[in-house]
Amino acid sequence: MPEVELPIGPQHPALKEPVSFRVVVDGERIVRLDLDISYNHRGIEKGAEGREFTKALYLIERICGICSHAHATNFAKGIEALMGVEVPRRGQWIRTLVAELERLHSHLLWLGVLAHEIGYNTMFMYTWRDRETIQDLLEEISGNRVNYGMNRLGGVRRDLSAALLARALEGLHRLAERARFYAELIQEEQTLLVRTRGIGRLPRDRAIVLGAVGPTARGSGVDFDVRRDDPYAAYGDVPLQVMTSDASDVFGRLEVRVREIGESIRVAVHVLENLPSGDIAAKAPRTAPKGEYVSRYEAPRGELVHYIRTNGTDKADRVSVRTPTLANWLSVVEAIQGRVIADIPVVVAAIDPCLSCTSRATFVDTGTGDRSAMEWDDLVAYGIRYYRDHERLP
Amino acid sequence: MNVVLLALYLVVFPGFLFLLGFAWFAEWWDRKLTARLQDRVGPPLVQPFADFVKLLAKEDIVPEGVPARLQAALPLVAFAAVATAFLYVPVVGSSPFGAPGDLVLVLYLLTLPTVLLFVLGWTSRNVFARIGAVRAATQLFVYEVPFFLACLGPALAADTWALGDVVAAQATGLWTVLLQPLGFGVAIVALQAKLERTPFDIPEAETELVAGPLTEITGRKLAIWNLAKDIALVTGAALLVALFLGGPTVPGVSVEGLAGTVIGFAVFLGKVLLILVVLAAIRAGVARIRIDQLVTWGWSVLTPLALTQIALALVLKGVGWP
Amino acid sequence: MTEGRKEAPERPGVLLPEMGRHLFGRPATQRYPAEPIPVPKGFRGRIEVSDEHCIGCSKCALVCPTDCIEMVADKREVAMGERTVHRKKKPIVHLMSCIRCGLCEDACPTDPKAIYLTEAFSGAYGEKDVVVE
Repeated sequence: MPEVELPIGPQHPALKEPVSFRVVVDGERIVRLDLDISYNHRGIEKGAEGREFTKALYLIERICGICSHAHATNFAKGIEALMGVEVPRRGQWIRTLVAELERLHSHLLWLGVLAHEIGYNTMFMYTWRDRETIQDLLEEISGNRVNYGMNRLGGVRRDLSAALLARALEGLHRLAERARFYAELIQEEQTLLVRTRGIGRLPRDRAIVLGAVGPTARGSGVDFDVRRDDPYAAYGDVPLQVMTSDASDVFGRLEVRVREIGESIRVAVHVLENLPSGDIAAKAPRTAPKGEYVSRYEAPRGELVHYIRTNGTDKADRVSVRTPTLANWLSVVEAIQGRVIADIPVVVAAIDPCLSCTSRATFVDTGTGDRSAMEWDDLVAYGIRYYRDHERLP
Repeated sequence: MNVVLLALYLVVFPGFLFLLGFAWFAEWWDRKLTARLQDRVGPPLVQPFADFVKLLAKEDIVPEGVPARLQAALPLVAFAAVATAFLYVPVVGSSPFGAPGDLVLVLYLLTLPTVLLFVLGWTSRNVFARIGAVRAATQLFVYEVPFFLACLGPALAADTWALGDVVAAQATGLWTVLLQPLGFGVAIVALQAKLERTPFDIPEAETELVAGPLTEITGRKLAIWNLAKDIALVTGAALLVALFLGGPTVPGVSVEGLAGTVIGFAVFLGKVLLILVVLAAIRAGVARIRIDQLVTWGWSVLTPLALTQIALALVLKGVGWP
Repeated sequence: MTEGRKEAPERPGVLLPEMGRHLFGRPATQRYPAEPIPVPKGFRGRIEVSDEHCIGCSKCALVCPTDCIEMVADKREVAMGERTVHRKKKPIVHLMSCIRCGLCEDACPTDPKAIYLTEAFSGAYGEKDVVVE
């Protein structure tokens, strides 16, 4: 049968943001898949390099709406490390609280999106309704449902009153009941299981080689979580259990995220019940000394890396963002091999793709309009040439 | 029935005009139920009619190389097919158009829209539409056999191929659903597959194939197609009511004249809405399955169940029941 | 794993009981704008400027991450504590660029704050001054 090319994207109901899969199918079976991800490039790294830290913080926060606190906290703690500023304990714990609430709302959102991708709209409606508990809580704590603006260099900007603490605990206890319900639901609902079990296999060794992170990797048995293995904020003091699954398929990733919902609730409750007293922020200087720092954070989608280089001024010299979704794309290409069209939205949704976080640059010849990408070796050679010319390195 | 009454039956009630209103009401009922089951508010009563009017006003875009007249005609043919099928279903008593063998005619007319959907998708010059059309045709082969077999059961029990006589047999006896519950279950599931609703909305899997065979259909064509879909929903439900739930009759009760007609219609309406509740619960309660899973499950579970029901019905017939 | 809880068999329609419970209850939908939405204290709404407190120091315009505060000429005598300040300009906030971060409010030196976050969120619905400048 002749090969048929199915353009999934850049505009497609399965995708919430633009990405392009050129899928070649034979009947329903997928023969080949080509991935193109540069549709959402906004130049944020460049924008952050031209702005003072206090302003760049707000720009970095808006890389993603769902992981906004992840980006802001990661950047803030990187700059604080370079400046040598220590955030007071209460500030760290409040950052952790918002981080776990963000993980909760992100995973509940993802649960709904996965349900929608397989036509299970009732579960979509229920999970998003339950997510409103978290959204209302975040709104009370920070004033916003997304892009919380909780961070400042040196700590956080808003404190929690005792009444708000009590309301938060009450909301989380209600949600814990729902989390238990969803944990049972995914083990019992047959139509959900037939669409996710055995689909999108990613064996553990392949997950490691392809650089998968977060629940995508943990769903294949890779036991790595930045919160436990490179602790930041309050994670050194708060008990945390890292959830993994040996299923190594879409169901494994689903299972990991649902159990992480329960674990995030536990962590958030622990933080609320044991919140230390004291200041919420320390004073940070205006400039940062020369240095470079790699800041890591466990975002809801996986390991988020910010590379920051400062040069003694009040602006960063270079900010490079490696988001978890960028690391997970190759595992999609691998996991979809040999499956059918109906599995595409499921396997893509299983890595929890956040395309606003993903886009890399592409090279466009303005004369001919040709677009191209660089191979790894060419990129390394280009980088060496560039820095040799611009910074007179040997 | 004299010509005037016949014309009124055809055009006003329960013919064309009533059917339009009933189809839109049924769509609203289905959408409102689905919403309430999902803890949402749901659309107001006029929503399906408003959607229809809005689509009529939209631009009718036809891609290059697509047979425009064929694509404009197909929704109309589908509408005509299902509307005609409804005329044979007993609504307030036997249909005046009823004849021996009209069950087969109704089943045939209800099959037509899926075949037309295949043609619509195949001629759309769109890869999503083409794959959706192939899926629709594949699905047709899976559910049509169990559906026909399940509808055969009540005909066997009543010893007739005429819908009116099947209903009349239940008016003096038991509802078929009590004698053939398995067949009723198979018929409900197969009807859900015929109507391409979750878990069987595979041809039009929105997250996989945009809109399946209907991807390139816009404006008036889409409005008429949606109307045909709604009428198919009502006709399918009414057919099951006639075959399994006794149509507009209540066993043992027989009221003459206008009162009888009104009561008959109310009974019919109640039963159809009940069937729609079941269909809505199925639609909201499960996820979509894959086409290969449907093919496997259909042939390994649904068809054997239908065959079992036929065997049981034959056995019952053999011992003199009902 | 479900840790010792009795596992029910795999079946379709696990959500049916909960669906039935919702069928006759009140939907979870917040029917805005027919019903008002409760807004918590501290919600990040529109930024407003208090004409009688602003001393025109421009600190807000300097810290704004999106540079959406424009200082326009506006003379007024403003009381600040025991002093009287002759201000020469005051801020205009371009609400379409404002990200409601509140850094301007944090930077404002007056008490009560001359530029502050309100809880007014409804910007596009019927309030032309926000949408059209």
